This record gives sequence, structure tokens and C-alpha cells, in this order.
Amino acid sequence: MLTLLARFLKALNSETGAWALAFAFVLGMIMGFTPLFRVHNLAILLIALLFRINLSGFLVSWMICSGIAYLLDPWFHSIGSAVLQAESWQPVWQAMYESAWWRVLQYHHSITMGSIIVSLCFAPFLAIISYFLVTQYRLRIQRWFLKLRLVQALRANKFWAIYSDLRG
Amino acid sequence: MTTNIRQSAIRWPGLAAFLIIVGLLVAFSWLLLDTIIKWSLERSLGTLNGAEVNIERVEHTWVPLGVRIERIQVTDPLTPTMNRVVIGAVEGTMNVEQLLLGRLHFENVVSTGIRVQQPRESEGEVYQVPNREDIEGWAKQGLAALNLEVPSTDKILERMELKTPAAISAAEEAFATQKERVNEARSQLPSEEKIKAYEAKVKALTESDIKTPQELVAKREEFAALKEEFEKDKKALLSFKETVTDAVEQLQTQFAAVKDAPAQDMARVRELMQLNSAGLTEITALLFGDQARVWSNYMLLAYEQLAPMLARSADAAAIKPQRGEGVWFSFTGANAPPDFLIKLADTEFAFGETILDVQWNNITHQHEQLGQPTTFRARADNTQLWSSFNLNGELALGAEGVDARQQWQLKGVKLDNLALSESAEFAANIVAALLDSEGSVALRDSALDGNATIRLADMQVTANAENRWAQVVASALQSLTRLDIQTSIAGSMTQPTFNLRSDLDRQLGSALKSAALQEVEPELASLRAKLQEQTGGFLGENEEELSELVGLLTTAENREARLQELLEAKIQNKLEDQVKDRLKGLLNGG
Repeated sequence: MLTLLARFLKALNSETGAWALAFAFVLGMIMGFTPLFRVHNLAILLIALLFRINLSGFLVSWMICSGIAYLLDPWFHSIGSAVLQAESWQPVWQAMYESAWWRVLQYHHSITMGSIIVSLCFAPFLAIISYFLVTQYRLRIQRWFLKLRLVQALRANKFWAIYSDLRG
Repeated sequence: MTTNIRQSAIRWPGLAAFLIIVGLLVAFSWLLLDTIIKWSLERSLGTLNGAEVNIERVEHTWVPLGVRIERIQVTDPLTPTMNRVVIGAVEGTMNVEQLLLGRLHFENVVSTGIRVQQPRESEGEVYQVPNREDIEGWAKQGLAALNLEVPSTDKILERMELKTPAAISAAEEAFATQKERVNEARSQLPSEEKIKAYEAKVKALTESDIKTPQELVAKREEFAALKEEFEKDKKALLSFKETVTDAVEQLQTQFAAVKDAPAQDMARVRELMQLNSAGLTEITALLFGDQARVWSNYMLLAYEQLAPMLARSADAAAIKPQRGEGVWFSFTGANAPPDFLIKLADTEFAFGETILDVQWNNITHQHEQLGQPTTFRARADNTQLWSSFNLNGELALGAEGVDARQQWQLKGVKLDNLALSESAEFAANIVAALLDSEGSVALRDSALDGNATIRLADMQVTANAENRWAQVVASALQSLTRLDIQTSIAGSMTQPTFNLRSDLDRQLGSALKSAALQEVEPELASLRAKLQEQTGGFLGENEEELSELVGLLTTAENREARLQELLEAKIQNKLEDQVKDRLKGLLNGG
């Protein structure tokens, strides 16, 4: 866990692209919000591993969003149920239900549907906000942050050793 | 010189990592597949059942794709210490093509060792208690109810208003009112002295000596004045007579009502007791109700076990999902194959050492899509428990609810030491009997409707009872050798109402009624005596006063007659005669 956090801070303080970090957050958020054992999460994992997405950011985002998802489950269920029960969408759902491909995606599960809708709606905002925060951090906060007594105290312990090792 | 090496957007080692992760996941699932299936089945069957479902072991095979599940325990939500069903083992093969399309289609399912209502080792967790009233109620609480059905005079008296006290109270009130009325009228009456004074005056007038015409005029005027008084008093007398006559008539009516009230009360008490003992005519239901319910559980097994689960699986709204579970929606088209289907199932129900093989076809909750109902048939001949049994039926779940029907013929069930009642007041036991039954039952719009005949032959019954009326039942039962019971079933599937009738109802009903009435006869005699004492007291106190009132009428009539006589007196003629005689004497003497 400490290693993961150190890696994340390293990415934040390194030359890793701000968009790479922002996309990592978005992918982690989608995987965290939606039920884990779904085929789309395999696709997200493949994207995160295959493309140069920052893995530490992805994992941190996934873990945080998994915790938030537990709180949001009833909301996801309500949204998913409402969408799946919407009269005008019934022909679409029925057509999708006939297809093995869509059935494998398990779209007809209320929480899956609700969480996908919420995460996809929130994804562009999270990407932009993350990009903005990363760039602002690097511009304004990084130096101030490293001067903090707390950070300096941390630099004196095991965590900093791991962080330093990672830096090489 | 520095060279900027532009990194590729693709991280090839990441692909290797992905493949390793996927490989691990597959391996993990492969190794733990049985546990995952076991856990999933326990969860989903538990949700459908509304209470905990336990599975001992699950084994899967890949070729052919199949699963074997051992020892499934399905907790009864109403009594969590019992399993509604225990299935020894279920084995089935799945259709791979349909599974890839997300449908669970089992080609052939064989389940063995099915037993109903078995005790659990530990109490099962209940997720959703079914909305079901106390199902015991339909059997009229069994034989213990016989004790409660015996009519009691106290209870009867609590419920009815006795006429005797009311009649006495009304008569007393009327007596007081009439007495007051009579007394008021009496004060206006001419007294005996006054009548005598009138008579004296009239006598004086008629017998006085009149010498002159002037005296005659004076006497005549005096008599006219007296007559006016007579008229006035006569009117008072007539009014008094009328009042007394009316009072006497009214009081005599009240007295008659008081005299009749005890007899009427007793008749009413007996009538109510007859009505109250109507429950005693339903003796078949009381005697065989509990047992019929146990038998009906077997007959309605298919409905009771399968239909609620199918109904719940068809209605996503009926099952409240647990947090984080969500709901799986089904968008199956009208012509698409159902999501869940067991094409053929062979189930072995065990009753002690007797095995009943039931074959099922097309078990699903989407019968409209399948276009066929779920059918079941069972046949078992020459078993230890019966000589022949044949059951067949069908069940379909539609938009209107469950639609099902079944019929059966059962012959030669050997009943052996079957307790009908084991209470201290009444113990009855079928030592031996042969039971035949046939009937049919239908379930439409989730409402049951059916009839059945239960024939008991070669009966040997032992019965003991403490009180007299229960002894009537006991002796009647002991003399029985055969009994035909007609049963009917109606109501909802979860709250069926049974009606049991037989010849025993008519035969025993009247005997029980008279026994019950004999039982309460001492209480009735005591009530009769009490009522008669009350009326006797009232009549004794007031009859004398009524006679007095009648006597007053005689007095009034007597006075009226005397006044009438006075009124009719011819005083004028007498006086005129006297004057004429006097005048004649004067003329002759002159």
C-alpha cells in the first residue's frame, strides 16, 4: 500500500503526462464504481495495462471509487432500475437481450447499468478536473507541499525510503 | 548530444500482464467454481424461498456441461426450525448454446431423496416472512374445540336479554302509574256518606208534608238543585269506573306477561343452545381436520413447493434485493425461449421407505414464452404404504397468476395407529384402517378450488372421553367400520380453507346436541326456578292490590246504581199529588 502511494506521488511529481494521470483516474473510477466481475472491466484493465496509462493513479482511483461505490449502490440501483424499466427504451433492451454479446456485458443488471451511466456521465468531468488539478499541483503546490513539516517528517521514515528507491 | 526517444503509446509488457491476470482469474474460477456455484445457488434459491437454503456440496463436469448438487436444505420460512424440503441430490446437464446466450436450460435433471418437513440441525435464517395467517385455523383448532363448543347457560345468559326481569320491571312501573291514576280519580268520587246524605235529603223531600203550592215550588227547586249534584257525582263515578277498568285491564295484561315470561325465557335459552351447538354437527372436520391437512400437504406438494418459488422468480418486484445485489431484469420476447427451463426432471420423493417417482416436464416460470405448462405425473403401485397411487397435473404461470390443475387416485393406504386426538379430555386413535381417496384440485388466479373423497374402510378405532357428550363421540367412533368423507378446498394457496363432511356429522350431530343439552339440564332447572321465584314474588306482592282495584270497581258500580236510583226518583209527581189531594180536601170540605 505504501509502495502504491509512493508510486502515485512519484507519478504526480514526475514528468508523467497530466492527461495520462487524468485518464488513469477516469478508468479507475469506472472500474471502482461498477461491479468488479463484469466483462467491461476486463476491457478497462486491458486499456490501463496496454496503453501508457499511469497504473498507480489507476489503482488509487479504483480503490477510492470502490469505497465510494458502496455508499452509492442504492443510487446506482435506482437509476439502473428506472432506465431499464423506461417504457420507451424497452425495444432497445429487448433487442440487446437477444444478443449474446450484450448479455455477456450484463447490462440488464440494475446496479451495473446505473453505475455505468453515472461513471460515463462523470468521466469527462473527472478527466478535465484531474488534468487541471495535476497541472495546478505541479505549478503551485509541489514546492510548497515538499516543504511541509509533515512531508519532511515522512521523508525521514520508511515511506520515503521506498519513494527514494523508486526514484532510483 | 541528447536523443529524445519517444515512448510508444502501447506498453507491450502490459499486455503480458493482462494475459497473466486473466489467466489467474480463469484458474481461480476453475478451481473455485464449485464453491462459487454453491454460494450463488444458496443466495439465489434463498432469495426465492424467502429463507436460508443450504447446500452441502456442488460438483461440476465440463463434458457434458453439468452439475451435481448434494443435500439441499430449504428452510421453511414459517417454521425456521424445519426444512420445507430436503433434496438428497440433484444432477443435471446444461445446454451450452443456451448458456452462451445467458439462458439456463437443463436437459435432464434427476433428483433423489426428496423429503418434506424435515427438522433442521439449526434454525434457518428467514429473509422474508410470507404473508400467511395462522394456517392451523382452518382445522377449527382440532378436537380441543369440542370442549369449547359445549353450550353454557352462563354464556347464553350473557348474550341474551331475559324477558322475566324486564316484564316484572315493566309491570311494577305500570302498577305504580295506574295506582296513581286510580287514586287521583278516587279523590273525585262521592263518598259513601255523601250518597247517604243524598238519600236522606231525597227521602226528606219526598216524605215531607206540603201544604201550599208555594211550598211545592220551593221543594221542586230544592230537588232540581240536588239532581244537578247527583249528575255531577255520577259523571265523577263514571270517569272513575273508566279509569279503574282501564287500569285493571292494563295491569292484567302486565300480570299475564309476567306469568308467561319465564316460559318464554326458557324456550329462548334452549333455542340459543341449539344454535350454539351447531358446531357440534361439524364433527368430521373436528375429528379428521388435522389429519386431512397433513394429507393435503402431500397432495398440494407441487403447488405449495414449486408455485410460490416460480411466482417469486417471475416477479422481480416481489423479491426485495439485498444491498449491493441489484436486480436482474428480463427482456425476453414473447417468442424467445425462456431464461430458465428444465426440460425433464425426475424427482424421487421418499415417504419412509417408500419412494414416489414424480416426473416433471418443462419446469420454468415463463410458460407463456414456452407455450406449454409444467406437467407432472406420479405413479407408484404395490408399495409398503399403499396399493396404488396415480397423480397427474399441470401448472402454468401467466399474467393472471398461477393456473394449475391436478387429479389423483389413491387406493389401499394402510393406516396404522393414527392418533386423531391425544388430549386429556378426549383421546381417539385409528388402530387400523384402509384409506382410498380420489379427487381433483385446480388453482386459478392463485385461488384453489377442489373436491376429494376420502373413504375409510375396515376401521378399528379406540376412543376415550371424560365427559358425557365426548363419550357420545367416543362410542360412535368405536362402532364405526367405514366412513366416507367429502372434502372441498377453496381460498388462496397460502391460506386454503377446507370443508369436511360425512354421515357422521348428521348421526353424531343430533346425538351430541341432546347429550350437550342433558349436560346443562341442571343449570337450566336452576334458571327456571330462579325465574319462577322472581315472578312468584312479584305476583304475590301485587295480586292482592289488583283484587283491591277490581273491588273498587264494584264499589263504584254500587254507588253509581244508587245515584241513578236517586236521579230517577219521581219527586215532582209525588209533591203534585200531595198538593192536589190537599186542594181536593179543601174544596170538598168547603
